[in-house]
Formats: sequence, structure tokens, C-alpha cells
Amino acid sequence: MISGLVQILLFQGLGELVSKFALPLIPGPVIGLTALLGFLLARGSIGASLDLVAGTFSQHLGLLFIPAAVGVVMFLPQLQTHAVAVIVALVASVILTIAVTALILKTFAGGEDNGD
Amino acid sequence: MGTNLPPIAEIWVYLSGSPLLALILTLTAYQAGVLVYEKLNRNPLANPVAIAVLIVASAITLIGMPYGKYFEGAQFVHFLLGTATVSLAVPIYKGYSALHERMLPLLVALIGGGATSILSAAGLARLLGADPAIVGALYAKSVTAPIAMGVAERIGASPTLTAVFAVCTGILGAVLGRYVLDFVGARAWWQRGFAIGVAAHGIGTSRAFSVHPEAGTYASLAMGLHGILGALLIPAVVSWFG
Repeated sequence: MISGLVQILLFQGLGELVSKFALPLIPGPVIGLTALLGFLLARGSIGASLDLVAGTFSQHLGLLFIPAAVGVVMFLPQLQTHAVAVIVALVASVILTIAVTALILKTFAGGEDNGD
Repeated sequence: MGTNLPPIAEIWVYLSGSPLLALILTLTAYQAGVLVYEKLNRNPLANPVAIAVLIVASAITLIGMPYGKYFEGAQFVHFLLGTATVSLAVPIYKGYSALHERMLPLLVALIGGGATSILSAAGLARLLGADPAIVGALYAKSVTAPIAMGVAERIGASPTLTAVFAVCTGILGAVLGRYVLDFVGARAWWQRGFAIGVAAHGIGTSRAFSVHPEAGTYASLAMGLHGILGALLIPAVVSWFG
């Protein structure tokens, strides 16, 4: 458990440093993610400890947005004023995104396994 | 025995001054959200994060705790977002062999779907007259919440609105996904999973895993790749369209 966490924190630190001094527009954790992915691809395997830590994080990812999302209480008046725009934008955008992605996959896959 | 106890007000002052209260509130609310979600057979509408946010927001309003004060304590949970983002490398790595087999269609679909999600939400909201704070957050929400919030900070949007919109997007995608996919006639599990991962992030991905493992693998690959692509492209798109 600990060695996987150390590995992730080291890559996060590396990402923050690169973001701060070389690529300020890209969030540090995304640079860390890309570097860790490159490391895993080069190595060709995942350590059990890293796999466990990453699994735990992805299982409870939602917990980590709660502190920021609770701030929605401060935006309620603004959201009420623009409720229609927000709802239309969210619903239409998710439908369009799923449809466009699926249609591209279907078209490109051609005769490939289209059944289930 | 009661005479030696400090007055309740004193206990309260002590508790609300330490980060512990915010942490207890956050984790207990999440635990309650997960229990409700499990009780309702993992219905995507009973999203544990949405339930937890409702509980915490009502609780701090009720006890008159300012949001800033709550966040001071809860920031220890918030900090782990960056760490969790780095750990997304693992599911992408696991899905990599899948990417290898169908490289071209997956990458084209990722770019097409990603562009649709980034432009459609912000474009529609702007067309309908939403204010710039909301439009900015809608740009960032198109990728998975932990990455979206980092992007929001970079483009000067509110991480709070971004997180809320990203969670709503995930719920909507998980609820509506199968109807849209049936409508466009995408039947193969890998296509269905990938489309859900691009559009509905983590919530859609966990939904995809519960429906079919192949759909789940492709969904988590799509979610991770879309996150990287979004982090690279959203700041550029925002500086073009303002």
C-alpha cells in the first residue's frame, strides 16, 4: 500500500514542478498522470501496491469532490437565474457527446463486430 | 456527574475550531450517500456524491458554519484530488491493450466526442444568455471532475461550479446513456462503453462496469484519455472563443 502511494506522490510532485516551471497551462496532476503512464508503459507491468492504491482512489473518487462541490451553496442565486440555460446545456451536451462518439465508432468499425 | 462537564457551548467552540468537524461531516455524509445508493440498487439517480453534497450543504447552513470555515477543515480531503488524478494512469494503462487493437476509431471518436462535449455545453449556455462564470465552468466540466477542477483554476473558472456540473453530467450520462446508444444503434459493448466514458466520466464508467466488464474497460480508457486531451485543449479553446 505505502510503496504505491509513494510512487503516486512522487509523480504528483514531479508533475507540479514541471507545471510550475515549464508548462503553466497544464495542471500538475495531469502531467504527473502522463509521466506515470509513460513509466508503466516502459516498465510493462503494475506493482501490486500501486494497483491497490489506484483501485481505492478510483472506487471513492466521488468523496474527493465533496468539499469543493458543497460550495454550490454560494452559487445558488446565480444558478437559479440561469437554471434553464444550465439544464439545457448539460442535458443536450451529454446526449450529443454520447451520440457523436458512438456514431464515429460505428462508422469506423465498419463490418467489425457490431453485434453483442 | 453533569456538574464537572464543560458547558455545551464550550465543547461546540472547541469542535468547530478544528478540522475534525468538517472531516467527520464530509466522510459521514459520503458514507450515508453510499448506503442509500446501495439500498436503491445502485440507481444512478441516487448518486452518493450528490446525496453527500446535499447533506453537508444543509448541515452547514443549519449550524450557521460559513463555507470558507468548512472548507478549511475539508481541504485535507480536497487535496487528495491531485493524487487521485495521477492514479488515473493505472486504468488507462490497463485499457491500453484495447487501445492498441482499435487505435484509429478510438482516437477519432475521442477527438470528435471530446470536441462536441467541450463546445456544445458552453456554446448552448452562452446562446441562452448564461453569465461568463457559468459558461467558463461548462467548458471545464466536459472532462472527469478531478482534472476538470484543475483546468477550471487555469482558465479562471470556479472549481465549485465545475465539480457540480461534472457530477450532474455523469449522472445524466449514466441515466440517459442506454437510450441514446440504442437510438444511434451502437450495440457492441466496446462502442457503448467508450461513448459513455467520453461523455459521462467516472459516474458513467462505474455504471458501464456494472453492465459489462468490456464496456467498463473501454469507458475508463475513454475517461482517462479524454481527461488528458481536455487538459491540453480546453485552455486553448477558451482563449480562442473567450
